[in-house]
This record gives sequence, C-alpha cells and structure tokens, in this order.
Amino acid sequence: MSTNTTPAERLRDAGLYAPGDAVLSVRDLNVRFNSENGVVHAVRGVDFDLMPGKTLGIVGESGSGKSVTSMAIMGLLPETADISGSVRFKGKELLGLSDKAMCKHRGSDIAMVFQDPLSSLTPVYTVGNQIIEALTVHNPTMSKQAKEARAVDLLRMVGIPSPKDRLKAFPHEFSGGMRQRVMIAIAIANDPRVLIADEPTTALDVTIQAQVLEVLHTAQEETGAAVVMITHDLGVVAGMADDIMVMYAGKPVETGTVEDIYYNPRMPYTLGLLGAVPRVDTATKQSLVPIEGTPPNLALPVTGCSFAARCPMVSDACLHGEPELISVPGSETGTLDHKAACIKSGELSGNADAHRIFHAPPKPVSKFDGVARTERDKVLELKDVKKHFPLLKGALIKRRIGTVKAVDGLSFDIREGECVSIVGESGCGKTTTLLEIMEFHPDQVGEVVIGGVSNKVATDHKTKMAMRKEMQMVFQDPTGALDPRFTVYEVLAEPLENLGMPKAAIKKRIMELMQLVGLQPDHVNRFPNQFSGGQRQRIGIARALAVNPKLVVLDEPVSALDVSVQAGVINLLDKLRAELGLSYLMVAHDLSVVRHISDRVAVMYLGKIVETGNVDDVFDNPRHPYTRALLSAIPVPDPNLERTRERIILQGDLPSPLDAPKGCNFATRCPVFAALPAAKQEKCLTLEPPLTSEAEGGQDFACFFPDGELDAEMLVVHA
Amino acid sequence: MLKYLLKRSGIYLIMIFLTTSAGYFLAVSSLKPAVLEQEKIPRPTPEQVAASFRGLGLDPEKNAWERYVEWLGGIVTRWDWGRSPNGAYVNAEFADRVLVSTRLFIASIILTLIIGVALGVYSAARQYKFQDRVITSYSYLVHILPAPIAYFLVQLGAISINEAVGERLFFVTGISTPGIDPGWPAFVDLVAHYAVPTFAMTIFGWAGYQIAQRQYLLDNVNADFVRTARAKGLTRNQAIRKHALRVSFIPVAQSIAFTIPAIFTGGFFAEAIFAWPGIGLWSIQSIGLQDVNVATATLAYGSVIFAIGAILADFATTLVDPRVRVQ
Repeated sequence: MSTNTTPAERLRDAGLYAPGDAVLSVRDLNVRFNSENGVVHAVRGVDFDLMPGKTLGIVGESGSGKSVTSMAIMGLLPETADISGSVRFKGKELLGLSDKAMCKHRGSDIAMVFQDPLSSLTPVYTVGNQIIEALTVHNPTMSKQAKEARAVDLLRMVGIPSPKDRLKAFPHEFSGGMRQRVMIAIAIANDPRVLIADEPTTALDVTIQAQVLEVLHTAQEETGAAVVMITHDLGVVAGMADDIMVMYAGKPVETGTVEDIYYNPRMPYTLGLLGAVPRVDTATKQSLVPIEGTPPNLALPVTGCSFAARCPMVSDACLHGEPELISVPGSETGTLDHKAACIKSGELSGNADAHRIFHAPPKPVSKFDGVARTERDKVLELKDVKKHFPLLKGALIKRRIGTVKAVDGLSFDIREGECVSIVGESGCGKTTTLLEIMEFHPDQVGEVVIGGVSNKVATDHKTKMAMRKEMQMVFQDPTGALDPRFTVYEVLAEPLENLGMPKAAIKKRIMELMQLVGLQPDHVNRFPNQFSGGQRQRIGIARALAVNPKLVVLDEPVSALDVSVQAGVINLLDKLRAELGLSYLMVAHDLSVVRHISDRVAVMYLGKIVETGNVDDVFDNPRHPYTRALLSAIPVPDPNLERTRERIILQGDLPSPLDAPKGCNFATRCPVFAALPAAKQEKCLTLEPPLTSEAEGGQDFACFFPDGELDAEMLVVHA
Repeated sequence: MLKYLLKRSGIYLIMIFLTTSAGYFLAVSSLKPAVLEQEKIPRPTPEQVAASFRGLGLDPEKNAWERYVEWLGGIVTRWDWGRSPNGAYVNAEFADRVLVSTRLFIASIILTLIIGVALGVYSAARQYKFQDRVITSYSYLVHILPAPIAYFLVQLGAISINEAVGERLFFVTGISTPGIDPGWPAFVDLVAHYAVPTFAMTIFGWAGYQIAQRQYLLDNVNADFVRTARAKGLTRNQAIRKHALRVSFIPVAQSIAFTIPAIFTGGFFAEAIFAWPGIGLWSIQSIGLQDVNVATATLAYGSVIFAIGAILADFATTLVDPRVRVQ
C-alpha cells in the first residue's frame, strides 16, 4: 500500500488485494461515539489480516481502542456507535449486517472471550445450560444427548475436573480461573475460525493466568482457530503471538512480526512501552522508562502525530499531519511488513536505547545503600502474628464449624531504607497482614513493633498517634482512596491538621509535597477527578508522606495504572525512598514490579511465609516449589525466551483455608510432591516444614525437598 | 427447602407474637373506651360502665399486664380474641372482614404485579423511545396522585359511563345487591360491583412495579453476561429476554414482600371509598371507637400477611436465584 491513499481506495484495495486466504480482513475500521463532549473518534483506521491458525496480538493501554476494535468486529457495539470501513470474514463483509444476520457468525465463525470472568456468565443458569445454549443457537437439530456429550467434552478440554457433574454447577460455584475456562469452552463450542480474547487473564492471579493461557493454547490447537489476543501486557503476548499490532489513541502505530516489535521497535511509543515494563528474570538496577503525559483526548481532532505530546524525539514536522503507517526501511523480508507510523522510524533502527531517548532518570542512591542490613534500625518488626477468623454457621445461634487461618504465624522485619514485598496469590493473606499491622492493637495475637513501639504496650492514644506518624499507607485504587469532594489541598492538609501544625506551615508543606511527587503546586485547588490515574496515585503518595513517616505501606500501588504511567510512579517511589530514607512494605501481585523495587521479598501461601530473603536470591535461585511455580508463571516480554522456556503450570486453585492440609500447606498443588515416592510424600503430609535457611546469608524457605524433581505433567514447553 | 421454610415460619411467628404483644400494650394504655360511654344518653354512671366492661373482659381497673395475661390466655386456650366495647365478638366479625378485604384486593394484587412487570420489561426494552416515555411518565404521575382522589376519578368515570349508556352498568360502591337471584344474575351483579374498585386499584397500583422492573432490567441490559450471550449468537432481544430478565426479576421478587402488607394497610381508602367494609376500614375505625381488641387483632392480621409475603418472597427468590438456594 502506498503512502497517500484515500479511504475509498484503501477499501477497494482491501477487496482486491487482501490475502485470499485470510480468515479475517479488517480495513480502515473507524468507530465514533457520540458523547456529551462531542464525537469521540475511538478507533481511527485499523487495518489487519488474520491468517488461519495464526495469532495476532493487539497491544495498547486503556483507551487505545483495542477493545472497541474487537467489539466492532463482533458487532457488539451499541447501535449509537458510528462504524465505518470493512470487516470481512472469509471475504464476506460483516459490517452493516443486521443484528440477526450477524448472529449467524457470532459464536460459530467468530467467538470471543471477555475480560472479567466473574461477571461474564449469567449467575442464574448452570454452566452446562450456558454451554449448551451456544450449541443450540447454531445447531438447532442437534439432539439433547449429543449436546450434553459435547459440553462434557468441552469442559474436559479446558481442564475442568469431573466435567459431567460440573455441568450442573452454577457460575458462583466456580473460581475466577475456572469461570474463564468455561468462557473459553463456550467460545470454542462451535469450532470458530476466529477467536478473539479481550484481556482474558487480566483479572486473574499469575498462576491462574498461566493455566488459562495454556488452555487458550490448547483451544487454538484443537480448533485451529486464528486468535486475536488483546492485552496491555507485553509479556502475555510475547510467547503466544505471531504478529503484533501496537495501538495508540485509536490507531495502529506499529505492526510487525513479534520479533520485529520486541527486538527492533521503530516507533518511540513501542520502544517506551518495552522499556517501561520491569523484567522478572533479570536484576536490572536501572530506572524504568517513564512515558510522561497522557494520551490525547479523542474527542478533539488529531492534527499531528497523536504521540507527539509525550514523545521525547518530537520535532516540528511531527505536529503537522498525522504520520501514515508505512513499511520501515530494510524490513520487507519477513512474513509481514514491519510498519511504523513515525517519521523518525529510520533513526530508531538498530539498538535504540529507550533509557537514553526517554531520559530515564539515573538509579537513585540511598544513604543506606552502603550500610550493612544488620547495622540499620528496624522500623517494623512482626513476631508470630496470627489472624484467625472463626467460620460460623447458623442463623440465630452461630456455631463454629472451622477456622480460616488468614495469617498464621508471621515473623519478619523491615530495616531502614529497604523495601520488603509480600507476594502471593489472592487469598494468601497479604492484605490481612497489612490490616493487622495497621490495626496495632494490644489484643492482637503476636507482636507488631513499629519504630520501637510494640502494640503490647501502646495502649494510650498518644503513643498510637506517634505510631501512626511513623507509618502511612498508599492504597491500590487511587480513585477510591481520595474523597471526591476534597480538593488536593484539603486531602494533603488533613493529616497535617491532625498533628496540630499551624496553617502557614501546612501551606508550605503542601507546596513541598506537590513538588516532591512531581505535581504542579498550582494544581492544589483541583479536585481528584481532574487528575489522571497516575497523578491521583501521586496525590495518594503525597498524602502518605505528608507527616514524614519512616515506613510507607504500599498496597498494590501500581496495579490500577497503565504500563507507561506505572513506570513513572515506580521511579517516583524509588526516588523518594532514596531521598527521604524511607522504608516500604509493599504488597503486589506483579512480581516484575516487586523484583524491580524491592530489596527483600516474602512469598506467602495460605497465611504462611514459604520463602523469604533478598530479592535477587529468591528470584534467581528460588528454593520453594511454590516460589518456583510463581516465578515461572510470569510471562516475560521476550518472544524467544518465552517460546523456549519451561513453565510450571500448577493444578487447580488456591485451596480454601478450611481444607488446609495438616503437613505442608502446599502439598496439594506441589509439583515436587507429585513426583516424590510415596515414602517421602508421607513426610510432607504429616510434618510442617520449618522456615529455615540452608546456607548462612541465603534465603529462608519452608520445604523438605527444595531441589526435588518436578512432576513432568506440570511442566510445559512450547517448542 | 421444607426445613428452611419451617425455620423461617418459626422466626416470623416469634416476630408476630412480639409485634402483636407490643401493639396490645400500646392499645390498652392509650385507648380508653370509657370516654365514649360518657357520651351516651342517658349517661351511664362510671360504675355501670366499669361493670359492663368487666363483663366484656375490658376491665379498666386492671393494669395493662393483668389485662394482657387475660387476653393472651383467651387466645391461647380458646382462640378468643376478645370483645368490642359494644359487646360484639371479635372472632365473629373478623372472618367476614377478612373475606371482604381479600375479595376486594386479590384480583388487583395479581393484575398489578403482572401488568407492572410486563410494562417494566416493555418500557426497558424501548428505553427513551415514545412508548417508554408514555408508560414511565404515567407511572410517575400516578405515584404523586393521592389514592382517594384517584379512586374518586375512577368512580366519576364509571358514573359517566352509566349515564352515557343510560343503564346502571357499574356499581361504584358496595359489594352486592341484596336479594339478587343466585346463578347468572348473581354473577353479573358481582362483576358489576367488582369491576370499578379492581380497575381503580390496578391502574393506580402497577406504577411501583413498572418503575422498579424497568430500572432493574436496564441495569442488566448492558451487563457483561448479556454481552456473552450475544457473543454466542443470540440476538440482542433474545439475550435480554433469556439472560437479563431473570436476573433483573430477583430484586422485584423481593419487593413483593413489602408490597402486599402495604396494599393491605393502604386499603383503608379503597374500602372506605368503594364501601367494602373490610379489615383495613375496621382497623382504622377501631381506633376511633377506642376498641383495644379489634385494633390488636387487625394488627396481628397485618403481621401475618407481612410474614406470608416475606416467606413468599424468600420462596420466589430461591426459585429465580440459584445463589441463595439452600442446601
């Protein structure tokens, strides 16, 4: 395709020159929505061809138009959406078909898996009913027995144990990962030629994500369907996709084979995205690449390159006329042209250094870096902290039928200037641990010592206040954590007023804080909703820092943020720790972020720490099988590595804390345990492994057979 | 399920006992029938009044607790709900009153429910279109119209129809014409009496259900699971009918529990205006007549109806929502 074509010509080209064997050809897809702020041009000219059996990854941040594109292909957008262009399935135009006509294709030719498995299944019907419905719609003549048999087959294919009985189960009786498997079963019920997966694993834990990606892989192999994988996570698609399309502000800005995109990005945005993601597999002690600014408002007409406002390489030419998506020089060889929408893509050839281009800040150095850990003061210490919830039954008279051991004997400490992270699947007790620390009450089981003050002695209000000053918290959801009716000034002034600081001093302090977290001081009179997500999280950090704490508790501080914004916040946290000598206690599910920011890490499983130590020790040489599985579940944004590496896929979900086994908690899912001879298994089942280290200075772990062989069934390699 | 229902019934029985007892104490300490006796001509002496009340079990000289024990004993041992100051037995009148009220309301309760839910679904499927605007505006209008005025309007309408036809098609008050032949004429007479109040209560009653059902369905029309259903190959309308509707009916089913007693208590106006002397009217009148036992009995009946409604709602909810199904 040449550079200056009109949409009409491109559509004609689509009909004439689209590869004849493509199952799905999209040309010049445009979607506009009417909103209160004018017409939002959500998708602006998407072109792609999907070959049978291939996987296309569409990568972009929220608001980049990737989900809208998929919904437009499926014909699921509201009637008010204005869609133009062409979507052809095996040469047949789908755009403009009536809802009824489109129904013949939906679910049989093109199927879709959605993001949130918890809300995507109808709560009042059994999963069997919902799978069979998908079969009935497209095969009205199929017999009831045949449909049931097929549904059982499908459930077995997606790895649901005892599928026959589970047909009669309702969605609420399944975990999130299991529900996503059911969604996949529904999607592949009629052997679709195209399977669109819209962020299929974003809402899931990493171990479950690995399972579900594996199921998608199987599903693709079984059906031979072409897959469109939509995600914001560059790691998830690295191993799966053949081709990648990077979207920004509703437009593809770079397309190419997966190798082209990951190893030779030619668009500054792609380059920045790749640099913004921390890596779980390497100990990079380098800052992340921050992409400053926010995506453009798509309700306004685009005059230049949509990325120009955030691009460090911007020049005058970028602001006049939007660059076309054109082949980059010297890349015509691959199966797919490597194209980029950037007038400077030529300058980026070879090994462009994202850190240099995006002016990534140098890795900050803390005054504590040179001091040995044992010589620093303890800012927080936990000694055998326990939180057991009684499980009650009965309406009037409650009787105890069990105990949920949310936190079961936790001991660790945090020294000055270090970041300790707690990682684990949801339900492992991470958040309860934080709540126990924040609770700080003499009646708690176990001792919490904050800044030398123990919860056992801190009974009066004054000591508690002093303790609160030592420790502050940053929450996961920056939007929910800020009162929408408070201006930023009021948000930041509240903790200071509590301390009885004079008004003038408060004002001065707030200006300092705004500068400290990288916000403009003259924005203090704005309300939280006038800020972007990343800026709101900065406000949350500023609020925590207002009273000059020693320890900041970070509860999933970046999980609600987009990748490019996340990098800026992580860099900020890094900088603040070095400059202010802060200590962090962080809870996060993203192990890449944990590796990047932490000094020490504690891996939790069912309320207990199973492995803890220096982050590099634990990540480079994990000893506990659970840590090994957890780490192997993290996809790495490196296609070659991702395709060849061995993965441990854990079976099943985190067991209910009620069924916690007597010996080692992890035995039920353990890949080492599964491969042990029965004689050795006995030990795991009866004795609880203690948390000890093997070598002096090494990490502590709780496993009897740390170097045991892994069960072959739980190992997967995609060659 | 049976065990669950029995357990719920047990809990409601305790609650009915408590509300009724509390109601009795309130009534016995605030209602003073002797005051009304003083207005009789010839005026009876206080001794005469006390003696006659003592005979009726309404001894004003006993304290509240003694009278409560006596009253409760009567109910428990003889199922005797006591007597009115004029000597009438509560039990004797009660059954007739209940029958009148039930007959008056039963048809309109069912009709309002069906029509309200159906119109809610219809208007939600056509959100912001002409039909939806008409139906929903009507519901809001009815909501602000006081019941007595609404019923009078319907009566006026029925009367003008009668005048236009020149024949008495509809009766705007009363239950039946005395001395009518049984069989066909009695049935026509019944319909003629029944039509006006039922019509009035129905067209002014469905608004609540319509608004609620419309709102709940709209909440679910764009739910993720409806999108999933469409992605399977169901049309939008099929997906809404099969998936959104049942989910949206869950809260409506629950609200029924609170509507049944509301209709019962609000029935005072209907019974007064259409001259059907039912239990709502009786309940209000008993307060005016300082009648402790009738006031308490009608309160107890209200509690029972409420409990039945709540159990029905539990039952309906477990029927439509598997998440609350009991093991």
